[in-house]
Order: sequence, then C-alpha cells, then structure tokens
Amino acid sequence: MKRRQLLGTAAGVSALAGCGLFDDDPEPPPAPDALQPLLDEAVALAAAYDRAAVAEPRLAARLTPLADDHRAHAAELAKVIGAALPSTAPSAPPGPAYSLKSLRKAEQVAQKTAAAACRKAPAARAALTGSIAAARAAHAEVLR
Amino acid sequence: MNAQLAAALAAEEAAIYAYGILGVRLTARGERTEARAAEAAHRARRDVLVTKLAALRASTAPAPAGYALPFEVTDRASALKLAIRVEDGVAQAWRAVLPVTEGGDRSTALSGLTDAAVRAARWRRLGAVTPATLAWPGRP
Repeated sequence: MKRRQLLGTAAGVSALAGCGLFDDDPEPPPAPDALQPLLDEAVALAAAYDRAAVAEPRLAARLTPLADDHRAHAAELAKVIGAALPSTAPSAPPGPAYSLKSLRKAEQVAQKTAAAACRKAPAARAALTGSIAAARAAHAEVLR
Repeated sequence: MNAQLAAALAAEEAAIYAYGILGVRLTARGERTEARAAEAAHRARRDVLVTKLAALRASTAPAPAGYALPFEVTDRASALKLAIRVEDGVAQAWRAVLPVTEGGDRSTALSGLTDAAVRAARWRRLGAVTPATLAWPGRP
C-alpha cells in the first residue's frame, strides 16, 4: 500500500514537471478578437464598393456613401480591438467587379456576422455591434 | 433595464401615433401600404414591450392621448420626413436596450433597431434624401 502511494506521488511530480517548469514551448498566439471578422468584412466591403464605383461610374454617387459607412465602422472597430487598420489603397484595389446583386448578398452575409457578434458581445460592445448589424441591413435594403 | 424598456415603449407608442397622422398624407399606393405595414410592426413591438414590462412588474407612464409632433404634416414631403424622424427615434431607443440585456431580450432589441434602420433607409430613399443610410443607426 505504502509503495503504491509512493509511486503515485512520483508520477504526480513528473506530471507537474511536464506542464510548465521545464517547458520551453513558445506561448500560443493570442486568440483573435471576436470583432476581427467584423473588421475584415468592413474593410472588404468598402473595397468592393470602391471597385464597383470605378467599374460603373454612374453608380458612384449611390455606392460611395455605403463605402464611407464601412470605413467608419472599420476605423472604430480597429480602435476598439487595438488593431492596425489596413492602409486604404489610393485607387480601387484589384479584384472582381461586383454587381449590385452580389453587393447586396455580401451585406446580408455581413449583417449575420454582426448580429451574431452582437448577441454574444459583452455589454460594452453590444451597441457598437448592434449599430453595425443595423447599418448592414439598411445597406442591403437600399441596394434592392 | 426597465428604464430602457420603458423608453423603447414610449418610442413605439410615438411611432404608432405618427404613422396614423402621416399615412394619409402619402400619395402613392405603395407608400401607404408601406406605412400600414410599419404601423403594424410598431404595434407588435409595443405589445411585446407591454407584456415584458408587466412581467417585470415595472410601472410605465400611460401612453399620452396625443403627441406633439416635431413639425406639421401637411403633404407627402413632411409625411416622409416624419416617418424618417420616428424610425430614427425608435432605432435610438432599441439601441439603448442592447447593453442592458442578454440572450433573447437582446435579440429582440437588435431586431427592433435593425428593422427601424431598414425602414428609415426605405423612407429616405422614397423621399430622395441622401445619403439614404446612416453609418451608426440608433447612435444619438
């Protein structure tokens, strides 16, 4: 009986040693902020509107305010997360030109991301994410 | 939470009253249909809030019989302007509920905010108000 207890203790000590003291594994990278997907979407949507406005100049007056909304969201999200905002390209970055229909679809997908984030957010972030979800829904509405 | 829910109720009551006034000033049939649908949506939200506040045993001020409109509604343009004004007010009220709720109650508040923002955008578009959207719906 005594012998078994002793063995047990020894096993416990070696297990302890394995979990940290002599471990030189690098720290795992911090998990991305829960709002990072919202920031990525805001940046991507702003760029998509810019491309569409360049491809179809007659739509520019309609699409530019929507792009500006997304840029405002991206700036505020970056501030809250403490992330660097990707520098905005002076002209429309390369990529596929979007139709109004595909932009509307993208807004609807992004609205779902923001709504899910709002439902799970701590109180301090609930209004921010809620407004972003509502803005994306309103964008989809005016693209009808 | 009760104060924010009571404020949302007051905003919904004001919206119901406003749509009753402004609906008849809209000229296109589609616009009148839209106003009726909006009024019904606000009534449904009002009922949810009344039930919720009763369950919380929160006392609320009775809805006034009439509201002072921010401006006179005399034609289609002023009717659309009032519709935009009340939807922005409803959005503000529901946005304030978000931080003080969780779970299903927060989802209800988010729907209230989102639907008001969508309707405000629709009215702005019909009234040729640019831009038709706000970057931060519900932010005072």
